[in-house]
Amino acid sequence: MTDVSTVVAAGAINASKIYGKDDSEVRALDDVTVNFVLGQFTAIMGPSGSGKSTLMHCLAGLDALTSGRVLIGDTDLAQLDDKQLTSLRREKIGFIFQAYNLIPTLSALENITLPMDLGGVKPDQEWLDTVIDKMNLRNRLSHRPSELSGGQQQRVAVARALASRPQIIFADEPTGNLDSKTGAEILAFMKHAVTDLHQTIVMVTHDPVAAAYADRVIFLADGKVVDEIENPTSELVLDRMKRLGS
Amino acid sequence: MTSPVVRLTLRGVLARKFRILLTILAVVSGVAFVSGAFILTDSVKGAINNLFVELRGDVDLEVRSTIAFGDAARAERDPVPISMMKDIAALDGVRLVEANLLRQATIIKPDGEPLKTSGPAFGISWNGPDGLDGRTLLEGVIPTKAGEVAIDKASAKRAGYVLGDTVVIVGPIGKGEFTLVGLTGTGSTSGGGGASVCAFDPITANEFLGADNKADSIYIGVTPSAASSAVQKAIEKVLPSGYEVITGEQSAKETAGAINEIIDVFGKVLLGFAAISLFVSAFLIFNTFAIIVSQRLRELALLRAVGASTRQIHQMIIGEGLVVGIVATGLGLLGGLGVAKGITALFNAAGAAFPAADLMISSRTILLSVVIGIGVTLAAAIVPAIRAGRIPPVAAMRPELGFSALQRSKRLVVGIVTLFSGITLFSVGLFVQPGGTVGTLGGSAIGAVLLFLGVASLSTTVAAPASRAISRILPFPLRPMTNSVPGRLASRNAQRTPRRTASTASALMVGLALVSMVSVVAASVKKSFTDQLKASVTADFFVTNLSFQGLPVAFGERLAELPELGSVSPFRATRALINGEEKQIGAVKPEMGDLVDIDIQKGSIDSLVDGNILLHTDPARDLNVGIGDTVDVTWQNGTTSTLTVGAIYADSTVAGNWLIGLDTLAEVSSAPPVDFFIGAKIADGVSIEDARTAVDKVAADFPSAEVQDQAEFQKSQEDQLNQLLAIVYGLLIFAIFIAVLGIANTMALSVFERTHEFGLLRAVGMSRRHLKRSVRWEAIIVSVFGATLGIVVGIPLGIAVSIALPDSFVTATVIPLSTIVTILIASIVVGIFAAIFPARRAAKLDVLDAIATH
Repeated sequence: MTDVSTVVAAGAINASKIYGKDDSEVRALDDVTVNFVLGQFTAIMGPSGSGKSTLMHCLAGLDALTSGRVLIGDTDLAQLDDKQLTSLRREKIGFIFQAYNLIPTLSALENITLPMDLGGVKPDQEWLDTVIDKMNLRNRLSHRPSELSGGQQQRVAVARALASRPQIIFADEPTGNLDSKTGAEILAFMKHAVTDLHQTIVMVTHDPVAAAYADRVIFLADGKVVDEIENPTSELVLDRMKRLGS
Repeated sequence: MTSPVVRLTLRGVLARKFRILLTILAVVSGVAFVSGAFILTDSVKGAINNLFVELRGDVDLEVRSTIAFGDAARAERDPVPISMMKDIAALDGVRLVEANLLRQATIIKPDGEPLKTSGPAFGISWNGPDGLDGRTLLEGVIPTKAGEVAIDKASAKRAGYVLGDTVVIVGPIGKGEFTLVGLTGTGSTSGGGGASVCAFDPITANEFLGADNKADSIYIGVTPSAASSAVQKAIEKVLPSGYEVITGEQSAKETAGAINEIIDVFGKVLLGFAAISLFVSAFLIFNTFAIIVSQRLRELALLRAVGASTRQIHQMIIGEGLVVGIVATGLGLLGGLGVAKGITALFNAAGAAFPAADLMISSRTILLSVVIGIGVTLAAAIVPAIRAGRIPPVAAMRPELGFSALQRSKRLVVGIVTLFSGITLFSVGLFVQPGGTVGTLGGSAIGAVLLFLGVASLSTTVAAPASRAISRILPFPLRPMTNSVPGRLASRNAQRTPRRTASTASALMVGLALVSMVSVVAASVKKSFTDQLKASVTADFFVTNLSFQGLPVAFGERLAELPELGSVSPFRATRALINGEEKQIGAVKPEMGDLVDIDIQKGSIDSLVDGNILLHTDPARDLNVGIGDTVDVTWQNGTTSTLTVGAIYADSTVAGNWLIGLDTLAEVSSAPPVDFFIGAKIADGVSIEDARTAVDKVAADFPSAEVQDQAEFQKSQEDQLNQLLAIVYGLLIFAIFIAVLGIANTMALSVFERTHEFGLLRAVGMSRRHLKRSVRWEAIIVSVFGATLGIVVGIPLGIAVSIALPDSFVTATVIPLSTIVTILIASIVVGIFAAIFPARRAAKLDVLDAIATH
């Protein structure tokens, strides 16, 4: 029997990503090997240009590696064609972006169920209700994104990512566009999703306060994993960042 | 549960309803023209068929002379002697026998001018509403004796005559005065379908219409108890050879069919222009969808990221095209009713008196409109949809990665291949078989379409440098555009999105290329015509007819008697079968030699008498005949002649390819003769004024005749050509109007896209006026670019067509510079016009809101 806490939800093995050619070559990822454990909230940190966004794009099947492998569960993404990648994103992966998370023409509820609607799958109503209540969106479901506040929009985005009960959720600076109070609220919701609903979240951020919500922080610099902290606090993260920057 | 694709599609359309409104409008107008053409022709044809069913409703059988070849309805038939009526009336089962006689007869208005009609002016023999003719008597009594006439109520009203008035009417052999005793109607209308109809009793008609106891045909009514087919057989037995008896139904069908063919031609012209405007609309649709896709880049990428497949994205964009197509087709069908009504009203206002028709929308009209309207929209939306499907999901986070997907294309290669296959097809169609068949002409049309598409595709490559050049060259009030900030911004914006600039300009290019092409061909035809006329026509006077019915023979005969005139010759025409082919044969007097220089190569013009024929060099070569050889001719009434070649000539401008003497024509045909035109030369020593006075005096008795001297004749011919051109230009303007909509639409979409940028410009101090100017100038750059492309493409096309047209038609190629300058100036106006609303919108933006927009 394997302990639940050590099952790998996703991982990168010797992952490299190179943009451009010859002189203008940029090594965005340089032989990165990293695992994300099921039921954990992981933060990826690093200065601008460290490769943290590229790592996430490649992990999520949005972008292809130059070399190395990415696994979601036991699926090797390199083996999938566009069609299989599409259904993988729909069924196994959830996304939360910094902004522009929602389709402006669809209501909050329609946005939440969109991945399942696209896949022609009926949502699990009980789970959906749990997610909606957890995100405190019950009385906002018929609203269009333009009628929601920034925080409410991000909550809808979190709910959408959770709704299909994916294997792993990727969040790209989910609080980058929010004020600190609303940001904290969203992070709390994400934390609940991990602790109460047993979801797995990988979040890219440059904010030490946000990173402190995670169970584990991975530091990237110049395309390489340079450090890692378990059960971080914001002071600890800030301290580590300062050292990396110097 | 609705599928998410359907939901996204519908919501997407609703969210952008104003942005796609103009797109819908463009498709609507194209579909409206297509369906309008069908609705109009169906309705008018239906009404005309009904009219003939009513007019001939009581005619069970008709006796007429037979023809050897040609179209049954338009053939020149020999008349039927009235004496034959007695034998037929004596047969069992025959209830009524009437002479059908219809000749040219013009009503003179109280002021002495002839009543102008859009249709022919007729005089007929009439036995009243109880007879076989279906005409109704609306007021008064039927004419029963000499000096009485009934006129169709609409014409009487237009001429200003009431019952009891004395009416002057000019018939084929002269003028007469009649008392107006009755007003007639046809079917449910009070008119004659655009014609004026004077009805006389049979004896008066025979005399006044110069029928010489012969009728065009004989109408027969059958007693109700007798079987029509049995009576038909009985009549067949008593008929001498050269005559036939047909059912009234067939006769009505033939006559209606001949008119329907004319209406069909009209419908086809409308369809041609519908095709052009739809083609231009396709550019607009394509452009709008392409822009909307790039504006929704992040949204589409987000959909891909959360699990939408490429196919679902395709379905979404195509679906939006489908919605636009369905809405536009529905509105277009309604618009078609409007187009049909509008054209009918327009023509009726001009006096055409289309019969009152219920507008008919046949299932074919609906089916074709749906196929065309939706088909064009979908075809135009396919490429933007494919591009949208290529947007990578990662663009949801990094939009800059998405644009490269939108810009990938093998444009240059595809463009060049398309252009050259277009040029090849076009040239093959024009030159391989001069004169062309329907197939090769269709090839030319497809070639032109490919050519336009090729140019549109390649124009993307030159859009940026061309925009830069235009903005440098265009002399804006006092200083070049690029010297001011708004001018520079306009220029850079046009260069920034070369693909958009190019496809917007291309819509205008198509319209203006056609205009330039037509103007080159028209100028060439005009020049050639004038040159040829000057070179070959030596007559001093021409007499033509105001309507297309030709001139009464009596007029030419009286002109010939005038001492003030020297040579006078009418020009008649007939049809004959030569070597198995139907040909038009001209019939003239030998005096024609003094009036028209036909450039005789061999023989003499004096041979134009008894049993001789004169040939143009082309048919002489084809038949391999020379002077003294014989040509076998079958005339339409079945008579055959063997004619001797008397001369061979080289100029067919006026004379056509075959000429015989008037005496030869009279020998072989007894169909009532009509002169198409008459040429006359002034006698030696007579002044032009005296001659004119003498001719005008004779012409006073023939009000439908128009006497012209050389200069007037030339001018009237040019006027006719100009009128035709005005119609063509008018219809092309419609296509240009759609192109202008396209420019307005693109500018509006660009303004929307640049909201943030405009906010920034305003924030750093640009005035509303400057912002407006910048938008306006960009529109001007785009339209001047389109106009230049149009001229560059259109002029060579025009030259090619001019060269391909037969030499008898076009001998010189002329490029009308004034038209080209007009097009360029007009394109600037077009740009200003198209920018009105987008510029206003840009200027209205609130600075803070605009900056906050992404």
